[in-house]
Formats: sequence, C-alpha cells, structure tokens
Amino acid sequence: MSRKQVKGEYIETDTGNKVARKAILIGTQHIMLGGKTVIQAEAMIRGDLARTAQVPSSSGAAPGSNTAVAIGRYCFLSKGCCLRPPGRIYKGSFTYLPLRLGDHVFIGEGTVVQAATVGSHVHIGQKVVVGEFAIIKDYVRVLDGSVIPANMVIPSFSIVAGQPARIVGEVPEGGHEAFELRELYKSVGNNPQPLPV
Amino acid sequence: MASFTPYTYIQCPCHDTTTTTTTTSQSRPAEDAPSPTSPHSSDDDDDDHNFDPRAPRSNYSLYPLEYLLWCDVCHQIRCPRCVAEELVTIYCPNCLFEVASSSLKTEGNRCTRSCFQCPICIGPLAVQSLESAPEPSLLSADNANTATTPAGPWILSCSYCNWNSSEIGVKFDKPQGIFAQLQKLRHGEDSHSKHAVGGDTSPTKTDSVAATMKARFSAMRSFYSAQNAIANPSSGLGDYGFSSPGALSRIMSIYSGNNAGSHKQKSKGTMTREADSASEGFRALDLDDSSAVSQLRRDGWDSTVIGDQAKSQVEEGARFAEELWPIPYLLRTKRSKRCPVCRHIISKPESKVANTRFRMRLVANTTIPSISIKPFNPPPALLKPLQPVQYLLTFRNPLFDEVKVTLATPATTPGRFASRVTVLCPQFQMDPSTESGMYLVDDALKDDNKDIQGRRRRGTEGGTHQAEAGKIWERGHNWVTIVVEVVPASLSLEAPPALLRKEGEPEPDLSPLKEDEDVLEIPMFVRLEWEGDVSHDQMSTSTGKEKDAREKKELAYWCTIGIGRISQE
Repeated sequence: MSRKQVKGEYIETDTGNKVARKAILIGTQHIMLGGKTVIQAEAMIRGDLARTAQVPSSSGAAPGSNTAVAIGRYCFLSKGCCLRPPGRIYKGSFTYLPLRLGDHVFIGEGTVVQAATVGSHVHIGQKVVVGEFAIIKDYVRVLDGSVIPANMVIPSFSIVAGQPARIVGEVPEGGHEAFELRELYKSVGNNPQPLPV
Repeated sequence: MASFTPYTYIQCPCHDTTTTTTTTSQSRPAEDAPSPTSPHSSDDDDDDHNFDPRAPRSNYSLYPLEYLLWCDVCHQIRCPRCVAEELVTIYCPNCLFEVASSSLKTEGNRCTRSCFQCPICIGPLAVQSLESAPEPSLLSADNANTATTPAGPWILSCSYCNWNSSEIGVKFDKPQGIFAQLQKLRHGEDSHSKHAVGGDTSPTKTDSVAATMKARFSAMRSFYSAQNAIANPSSGLGDYGFSSPGALSRIMSIYSGNNAGSHKQKSKGTMTREADSASEGFRALDLDDSSAVSQLRRDGWDSTVIGDQAKSQVEEGARFAEELWPIPYLLRTKRSKRCPVCRHIISKPESKVANTRFRMRLVANTTIPSISIKPFNPPPALLKPLQPVQYLLTFRNPLFDEVKVTLATPATTPGRFASRVTVLCPQFQMDPSTESGMYLVDDALKDDNKDIQGRRRRGTEGGTHQAEAGKIWERGHNWVTIVVEVVPASLSLEAPPALLRKEGEPEPDLSPLKEDEDVLEIPMFVRLEWEGDVSHDQMSTSTGKEKDAREKKELAYWCTIGIGRISQE
C-alpha cells in the first residue's frame, strides 16, 4: 500500500489536498492550504516571500501567522503556474504582503498571480498575468492571455480579457455552476475518476 | 484556421413576432405560447416552418444555455434580450462603493471618488507622491534629496504603461478628493496654471476648455427654453419642457397631422432667434488649425490619440495625447430581471455590492437539458466534404422527473450549402436527476457500473462499434448520448449545368464564401415532455388552477448545434 503511494504522481494529504511531487513549493511553513486543493506539477508557490516588516497590528499576536500564501478549498493550480505574494514599500521599508485565494479558484497553465486577494469561484485562464495588489472578487472569469494591471479591482460577475485587462462582459445568471471545481478535483490524483459527461 | 469548439445555442421564444407583440399585453391568448395549460398548441404552429440559424434575425434570439433565464409562471425560456431589467444597486467597479441613484442624477454616471483610469491604456491610476516616486525620471535634481516622507505635489500614475498625470501638467496639492481637484483644474478658474509644461503650444485647449460642454449645454438649454416660452406661450411646452409626457403627446399630435385642423396654427408664432453669444452657449468653431498642424509637424503621429483613447474620454474632441485626461470610472450596476410577459421577477441579486448571492435566480439550465457535442472518432481539423461523420450528442437532464425527448432536424441544413443530417435516435427518455450539483458517492459508483455494463452490452450485441438507428448510444443516471450522422456539403461554387435548370428558377448564388458560411450548423427542434410537480419550483405563486400534485408539462424550442468547419477543397 505504502509502496504504491510512493509511486503515485500526487501526495494526498489528510485534508484532501493533492500536491504533485513535481510541484515547487518554497517556504512551506508560510503556505496555508484549505483542503481539497490540487497543485499540479511545476506549479510554484513562493511561500518564502513572507512579510518581512514587523506589522504592529493584531495579526502579529498568533505565532506562525505570518502566512505568505493562503489558499481556500477546491482550488486548482495548473501546471507551471506561479503564486507570488506582492510586495511594496510600507512605512519606509520593502515588505511582501500575503496573497489570499478563496474557494474554487482555478488557475490556468503558465499563469502568474501576484494579486492581493482572489475571491471565491474565480477562473483564471492560461498564460495570464495578475499584477501586484490586484483584487479579484467572486465569480470572475479571466480569459486566456489577459494581463491584469497592478492595483486593479475586478468586481464580481465580470468577464475580463485583454492587455491591459478590461471588463468585457458579465457572467450570466446560469453560468454560476460552471465555476464549481468539485468534479475537477475528483478527476485528478493518484486514482482519478473520469469527469462526468 | 483556428480551432473550432462545438456549441449549442438555444432560441428564445421572443424571436417570434406573434409572441413579442403580445408581450405588451398582460393577458395574451393561451394558444400563443406553450404553457402547461395548453400543451398541444405551439408545436402545431412550429411544424410548418423550419428555423434557419443563418437568417440575420436569428443572431438576436440564439443564446448559450447559461445565458437563458426561465419564467416559472409562463413556463417559458427568457433571454437577456427580452427580459425587463431594473437597477438594484449602482456602484463603482473600482472602489466598490455604492452610489445612490439620487446622486447619480446630479453627479453623473462616473465615480466621484478617487477612481481613475489611465487615458492611454485604461489601466487603473494610483495616487503617488511626486517626491518619493521610484521613477528616476520624475526625480529632478532639486527634489531628489528631500526626505522620503510622502509630501508635496501628488500625481496620478499608471503602473501598467507608466503614464502619469504630470505629462499633461496635472499635479495635486493633497492626495484626497482627487476628483474635485481634477474637476477644478480642468474647468475651474485656475485652468491656465496647469499647462506649465505644455507651454504655448495648445491655445485651443486653454481657451476653449473654459467653456465646458456641461456649462455650454446648460446655458444653451436655458436660452432655448426661454425662446420657446416666448415663441408659443400658450402651448404649454415652455411650462413643462420636453421631458413631460403631456408636452410630448402634444408634440406628437402636431406632427402626426391627423388632427391638425383641430389645433390652432402654431407654426406662425414669433420668430425665435438662435443663440449667438457665449453667454447663451454659442461657440464659434475654431477653423484655424494652424497650431494643430504645427504641433503635428513637430511631434509627429506619436503625439496624437488613437480612436479608442478618444472614445473613452469623458469629453469628446481630444486630438493630441496631451489633451487626454484621466477617466473617472464608469459606474456599474446590479440588475434584477423581470419576465416581459407576466412581470414576475425571475432574477434578483442581493442589493449589497459585496454580496454575490441571489434572492431569486430562475435559470433555464435547471429545466432544459444541456447538450454537449463530441465527435465519434478523434476529431479531424476540418470536416471533409461529402464524407459522413458521426457525432455524439449528450443530453443531461437537470429535472427531478423523467423526461421524454423528441428531436427533429431538417434533412438538409438551410443555406447555400446543404449538408445532410440524420439523427439516429430522435426519441428517447432521460432518467431524473437525483441530486443537483453533487450526487452521492454510491450513486456515482452505480453510475460507473451501469456505464461499464452498457459498454459491454453494446460490445456483445453489436459486435462492431457501429451506431444503430433507433437505439440510444449510451445512457447514464441522468444523461443519454445519441448519435447524429452528418454528411457535410461541398463548398465548391459551381453553377449547375444550364440544361438542368428549370424555367423560372432563380439564378444560383455564386458569390464567394461569406464569413462563417463554412461552419456546419444544424438546426434542431427539441421537444420535452415530463410529468412534474406543480409546486416544487421555488416560486409558489401558483394560482388555484394548478392545485394538482402532478401535471403533464411540455416544452418545445429550437436550438442550433455548431459542429465544425467544412474544409474548402
């Protein structure tokens, strides 16, 4: 049994995360996974870029709360994507700030995310660049090849495309279920199940 | 040739002019629309005409399934084009602050907080202190050695294209209230101070901008309403203005002419004069383009604006890059949707900006089966003309009831290039959907077993993987796959021999291939029949006639299935 698990492409954790052995996770003590998240091969998470400046706010109270990347449930990080916390000069010194992903966030192949916040039910396509401190709200679809400028705010139910990205449409009422990633989660791993028709 | 993804578009019943005319009246005849009370009406009407997805009008009624809404009361599909929308919330897409509709009337449809878009690339602009700005180009010799504490003049800068507002000479004294400061800089008295950099090169701007569009419009409006009042004091137009419906109907009666005799002659009132001074909003067009020409000669094309930039400006008329101003964000709305016929709300979002839930969301994909298309064999890049291809259509039932599906397609697709279409199994039943969204694990297992059995059965019975007429290809717990055979038409444009042409037949259309004419689209008529709970839907507005527990329901609609492109050989 254990022998077989070693051979599997993914490491499956107790909380249901499926992390590819070839995924590049740096600074794992600063990475939080909510569970049931898929991290495919060559996906990179830069947990080492944690906050360096001392922040006097309440977040400093709990030990180990210096999270660089927080990921919710049912997220899907495709091959070759990169999650990188954004950084800026804060009170005279340079510091990185945490990158937060909600639930059901899909990140396409070769995409670089440097957002401050990505909400829940967000689909980010292939080869997208999400600039530093961008805020993506819930139910947003970012089409392939978009470049989201730094500091951009994308409101809920937007379809975004272009370089620089602009809002090109609205997610229709009937399209909310398409953001669910439960089935996609089941379809990868060491014993994947086929996607329903 | 780009890759082609198969698609299904469904036609909203609003395409039909007979039903759209009745949408205005509250009580339309029961025969017009297929409703639960009149189950056998609509297909009789629809039988005699085929639907052409290529007709110019079809574009306006075909929608992907997820765009369609569903009216529970009318029992009919509603599309984004035919629903009536109502504003629920108005908010700025950048700062996500809600804007009251009253302030919308006074302040306009743009964000009056500090939300701006770059006039060059439309990226978001951020307020930055000029002193501590990291760009070395901005740091001139005298302020480079100042402290890093953010102070002094502020600018708006774009992190995407590195444009900043100092390029048009706009600097702010404080980082708050940018909108008001910018408004003052642009339209206020100190408008001449802003062009320290621009120098003497843009006289058209500094002179003419003082009289803004808004100011000119209000001056002109007050002038002409005064003139109107002088011209015909009795007509009441001066009192109400053109916005009042009474005045409008009066105007309409003047122009319609059918009761011109009854009205007294109004046209020969006193002559009104036109605005002719600046105080009345009049502005002579500056025909002297020499300064613009000299600027163009000096700075070249790079200094001019492109069409998109000029269009996204708040005020029109920008010709040079230095006439581009930061664009305040256009506000965005959350809207609720009403059925055009029965006026019931079919979609209503929560009014708070941050809340993404819906109070009501009746969408068509909870009723209508979704249709997905897969090629039977590994897909060729292009369809070979005159070579039969088979496609698998999978229908997935979202309802909790068993649904009987009847399909119909014309034997040949409409249009110049008629491909032949055969649905091998035009009638089948779909099992009910058990759980919406997530179904149970053992259910899934059962489903898998069934699939395997089904595959085996097919393997032993048929011997070969051949689609059989009248048989379902594959079946799952709430889905059914059938086979459609298509013989793509040849796209060659050769006139048929003159001998074969009959007298009086129109000249064949031999014009070159039009856009997307090589896409093979199948019009398909789908009819669903099921026995449903009357009151299991979310909306419990059922009246007395729908008290029965079970009820026979029927729905019929056209859809178009895009299969692929035919190769041009």
